[in-house]
Parts: sequence; structure tokens; C-alpha cells
Amino acid sequence: MKIIVCIKQVPSTNEVRLDPETHTIIRDGGQSVINPFDTYGLEEAVIIKEQLGGTVTVLSMGIPATERLLRDALSRGADRGILLTDRAFAGADTLATSYTLSLGVAQAGAFDLIICGKMAVDGDTAQIGPELAETLGIPHIADVKKIIAIDERQLTCVKVMDGGEQELTVSLPALITVSKDINMPRLPSIAGVRFSLDAPCQAYSAVEVKADTGRTGLNGSPTQVVRTFTPERRGEAVALQGSCPEQAAQILAVING
Amino acid sequence: MANQLIKPFNEDFADYLRDESRITGQADSISFPKNKQELIGILQELAGTNTPITVQGGRTGLAAAAVPFGGHALNFMRMDAVTGLRKDQSGRYYVRVQPGVVLSKLRKMLESRKFEAAHLQSWDQSSLAALTEFARAPEQFFSPDPTEASATIGGMIACNASGARSYLYGPVRPYITQLKLALADGDTLTMCRGQYHAKGRKLTLTTDSGRVICCDLPSYEMPKTKNASGYYIEDNMDAIDLFIGSDGTLAIIYEAELALLPLPARIWGVSCFFTQESQAIALVELVREQLDRIAAIEFFDRDALAILRRQKEESTAFAALPAVMPGMEAAIYLEIHAEDEKIAYERLFALGKLIGAVGGREDDTWVARTAADRDRLVFFRHAVPESVNMLIDQRKKTEPTITKLGTDMSAPDSELSNIMTMYRQMLMEKGLESAIWGHIGDNHLHVNILPRNAADQLTGKELYQQWAERISALGGAVSAEHGVGKLKVSFLETMYGSDHIAEMAAMKKNFDPQYQLGRDNLFAARRFAEGGERS
Repeated sequence: MKIIVCIKQVPSTNEVRLDPETHTIIRDGGQSVINPFDTYGLEEAVIIKEQLGGTVTVLSMGIPATERLLRDALSRGADRGILLTDRAFAGADTLATSYTLSLGVAQAGAFDLIICGKMAVDGDTAQIGPELAETLGIPHIADVKKIIAIDERQLTCVKVMDGGEQELTVSLPALITVSKDINMPRLPSIAGVRFSLDAPCQAYSAVEVKADTGRTGLNGSPTQVVRTFTPERRGEAVALQGSCPEQAAQILAVING
Repeated sequence: MANQLIKPFNEDFADYLRDESRITGQADSISFPKNKQELIGILQELAGTNTPITVQGGRTGLAAAAVPFGGHALNFMRMDAVTGLRKDQSGRYYVRVQPGVVLSKLRKMLESRKFEAAHLQSWDQSSLAALTEFARAPEQFFSPDPTEASATIGGMIACNASGARSYLYGPVRPYITQLKLALADGDTLTMCRGQYHAKGRKLTLTTDSGRVICCDLPSYEMPKTKNASGYYIEDNMDAIDLFIGSDGTLAIIYEAELALLPLPARIWGVSCFFTQESQAIALVELVREQLDRIAAIEFFDRDALAILRRQKEESTAFAALPAVMPGMEAAIYLEIHAEDEKIAYERLFALGKLIGAVGGREDDTWVARTAADRDRLVFFRHAVPESVNMLIDQRKKTEPTITKLGTDMSAPDSELSNIMTMYRQMLMEKGLESAIWGHIGDNHLHVNILPRNAADQLTGKELYQQWAERISALGGAVSAEHGVGKLKVSFLETMYGSDHIAEMAAMKKNFDPQYQLGRDNLFAARRFAEGGERS
């Protein structure tokens, strides 16, 4: 079983710095961590590898310092890392990111399963997994909380839905995004840390992956961030008076500003 | 009562009759001073009636020192300002705090380098200037780390608290550079470290009002182990050390200055699991000999691990605990502090080799290099005492007389294997349920007897007393970090003997002639009533 896990570098705190021009997060690698949802994807991949054999490749697009997080993933059970890093990839929205990641998948070679976290805690879009699957032309299941069965041909899982759950089977190769209910990520061992320092972790530029730079980074991003801001917390409370219809009218007035 | 700050005790204050020892006391009145002036007014009022005063902070203590056995409960939770900052010529920083500052809040303030605006308004110019430099300086930290981060600084000083990192950094004591103290009558004492020293065993102090206090210090020699048992006494000692760890019996701390340390660039936690307890103990002995800058060496026995396994399965609150590998009978937690990443890796891999040398495996370890992973290991460590408390609370429902019996004793390095064998043999002989964990780097284990019924409780108490006798005979301490409080009074007498207890009582009379402060802490009331006479 050949599994690819996509991981993203996210800030470790809420106090992020934003680029005044592009309004995107400045990622300098200083206080960054693996997106927490992705750690569950990595753990699930390692569990499957332990059951069925195979390899786990971790894939990321980011600044060169992201290699540190890929090696962290290697210490937790992955076998090799691939980093897509180039100025041409900077400022990407989810469409450009998923295109770029698809080029990384091509570098990884044949695969059976791709696992992503269901969303990143900085962007909160939950779009990368599904968009990557569409770019690659493979089926996907989002928000998986449990894998019931998996073999070389297919995967059966439980998907979380609004107000319920759904049991689905999908042919492989496929992509799933996972929620935090799916497992409890392991901590690395000293042996794992030793392995991670020398394990293969390859960086690729836009040229090396033959990227169409019209589809990467800011150039390939139809979504532009106009403004980012921290909502003002006013901490005010208003007591509503009157009958139910009167109170409903007051609430409507608040909503309409 | 004339002073409106002294409130008659009623059931609304019931929580203030307890601490984490699970002992419940009683009180006639309570107060929550917010500043020195209020404190002095309260003390002067209480001095007029010779009312016993029990000082309280976060009530996280395990020896019942903050549990009032009558009289007045003086609670410092509202006296919680950071009052200043200082940088000395060597570049070291010191923070000045009132006693009610909670450790977790202090940590956040130091980490963020932000202090409450309301408190900053009262800072002097030199403190504000130091703050400007502090904001740009490498991150600083206050090293003592008791398990309960909701402890107050005043309480930590009163019992000379320590925590896991005391293996490298020591307890609270060396980090206290100034104390402002109130005596029972409202007079005050101010002292900086290095300002006043005893001459041999005679100490002379002058209060802020000019009153001279002369006293003979007790004549005992303290154990050469980690120790929080009774007064800190040695020849020519610094006077400030007498009040640190004095369990609120000599004077009341109303302000303290704490020395800070630069935070190491890398702090990595490592949990190592073993199939045999002897392997874990062998690792501790090797690490002590061969590895530098290990801040903490902690132990968990098979029973503690079994409790955690059970909690993870049965309680959703503990579901996030990392799963301990099957077959593991003991664990050692170590914390590597390093100046840079290269050195941290060198120490980590050196540790790996030592694990192999004692028959363990590098695969059977958890390494926490990120904040999220460190939080998981902290959760794991703290889940043990929490789970034991829950277990005892559950049993108390059917056996109300039982309590947790947890030791706090330390022994010399050379005795580690011997004391482990002693604990195991005696627990087995008595057929008692137990869990052992704690600061094995300092040969300081918390042996927790888990009584199932009243008979177990009685047997456990007898065993506890026997261990106090044996540990004392080995040159150890009956309390290494929790303090003596009210629960270990008999053990302190076992450790030092009745003559030295009488000396302690006699010394206390010089500071607290009416026996108001910390009554029943360190020694029984009858000792004071006997006038400090030797038996």
C-alpha cells in the first residue's frame, strides 16, 4: 500500500503576522507546527502501513523551513518526504495549492491512497483535499472519522455528515480527508527521531516539477484576500424585552445592523 | 468585629476549610486582604484577641498547612499583583510579586512579557525601565514547577515547593532574593538575600519598626537530601532561608522577589518505558552519572501505568492520554534542557544508548520536541495523581474514613535501590494496593497507599510511620517537597527527635509569642504550650 499524506505548516499561535500587501500569513517557519488535522492523517497512514505493509510519503508545499516539519513527520512513522518550495508557489489560494500538490504527487510515483486533514486551522477552508482529488481525477471522501476496512482494491469508511454519518466504500486509488475522531496520533520515539534526521526528504522547485507558473502562487489564484483583520470584541450584552414576535423583530434589527 | 475585612465564617466559605490534602478543618472568621495596609489592619485586630491565623494561597498543598484548625483563615488570593521588575548588573532579571500571584499566571506573563495594566500603574520608574529591556530580552522563566500550577507564589515559598525540574534547578529557596514579612502583631520585617546572617546558631533581626529579635536557632543538622522538613537551619545561615519553607509559622509573606533564569533554547521531554522496574532504576543511576543538563527524572511504576491504562479506557476526560505499550512495567520521564538543537540531539541519542545499556529499547520511548507533544506528556504525568485522587474519592463514598496515604520522603543517592526494595517488600507483606511515582532523580518517590477499607487505612498509616523511621535512619527526609504541614508532624518528630522539636517551638516564640501563626503546622500545639522545653 503506497500512501501519500499532505501536511501543511501552520502558525503555532493565534498571534500571526500578515503580509500588508497580499494580506496572507507570513510563514517564516519560526513558530510553526504541522496542521493538527494533518497529524491525524499521518497517524492513520502509519496504522495502515503497519497493517498492510507499504510506504508513507509526506508531501508539503511551503518555504524551505517546512523541511523541519516533514522530518518531524518522518520521526512519527513516514518513510520519505517531498517538499515543493519555490517563490513561484507563494501566495497560493486553494486552487493553485491543489494544482501544485498534484505535481508533487506525480513526483511521489504510483499511489493507492492520499490522506489529508479535513481542514487547516489557519485557513479553515477544507477545500484542499477535494480540490486535489478533482485535479488528479480520483474519487474522494471528506471528513472520515473511521476506516472500517481497507485492502489493495478498496476502502470502506464512516464519513461524518451534518446530523449523521454515512458508511461509504470507494475504489482505490482515492483521497480521504480525516477528522480528529479517527485516531490518537503517536509521539515519535528516539529510534524514530534518529531515522528522521537521515531519511530521504527531497525538495523540488517549480522548474523541477514542470509547473505551469500561470497556475501556481498568486498568478494561479483566482481568490484574492482583500482584507484580514481580528474581529473587535465588544463584550456587550443586550437584554431583549417584550413578546416573542417583538423580541424576534429586535433580533432581526440587530442582524440587519 | 471592628475590622470589616474580617468576615464571620459561614457556609459560603466552606471551600476555604480544605486543601488538596483532602483534610477539612474549621474556622471562626476569614479575610481576603488586597494590600499591605489591609493585611496589617487585620493582623493588629487579630493580635488583640490572640486569634490563631492560618495563611492560605491556592490551597493546592498536600500537607494541610493551609487548613485552619480554628481561628482565622487569612486568604491571599486577592493580593495578586506583580509589583515590579529588576535587572541586575549581570543581566539577570527579578520579578517582585504579592503572595497571591498564581504560578500559571506568572508563567503566562513572563512568556508573553505582558503584565496587567492595572498593576503596571503602581510600578516605579526603575521597574518600568527594566520592563522595556525585558520585552526585548531572551525569554525568562521561573524554574520551580510543582504539579499544581494553580499554586500561589506565597504558598510555594511557605513550603519551599519544587517540582520535577528541581532535579536540575533546585527548589524555590535559591530563587527568593527578597522577602517582606508581617509578624503576628502587624510589625514587619524586610530582608534581602545576603543582608542578614546568623552567627553560628544565633540570629538577630531588626523589624521595620526597630524592634530587635534575637533567637537561638535549633541545633540539628539537616539531611543532605532534597528536604522540606521543618525549618531550614545551618551555621551562619542567611536569615531569609529561615522563613522559606517555614509553613507559615514564623511570619506572613506579603511580597517576594523571585530570580528568573533564561529559558533554554530547547526543552525536550522523553518518556522511556521498560519491561522491568530494575531497568528503569538502572537507567536513573546511569543518567545521573553520565548526562548533563537533565532537568527532570521522574518515575512511574506498573501500578501507576495500570491506573492510566484504565482511565484511558473508562473516562472520556482521559481518552487523549497516549497509549502505553503492552507489557511495560515501569517508565522514566526525563527532560532535556539544551542551549541549541545540536546539543539537544546529542543528549537525546546519548540517552538512547543508555536505554539500550540497561536492556530497554529506543522504540519504547516518546519524544516530545513540540509544545503540543510536551503538553501531552505533562497531561500524562499529571493524570497519575489526579486519577489516584479520583479513585480515593470514589472509595470514600462507601468507606468514608479512608484517605490517600502518599509519602514525600527522600533518601541519599546510594540508597535508591534499597528503598525501592524496602517499599516493594513491605507493601507486598501487608497486601496493600499502591501506586508509586515521583522524582526518582532525587530518590524522592511518592509511594501512594490506596486503602480499600478502614483496615487498610490503619495498616497503611503504620507502614508510613515505619518508612519515616527507616528513611530517617538512612539520612533522608520525611518531607522533600510538600512540607510538613499538619499531616507529617509525627514524622518530623521521628526525623529530628523531640529535643529538636522543642528547639523549634522555642525559636518560634521569638517571632510569634502568642502562637497565632500556622498553629498545628510543623509541631503539635502541646509542644508550644510546653514552652519549648526539651522532653
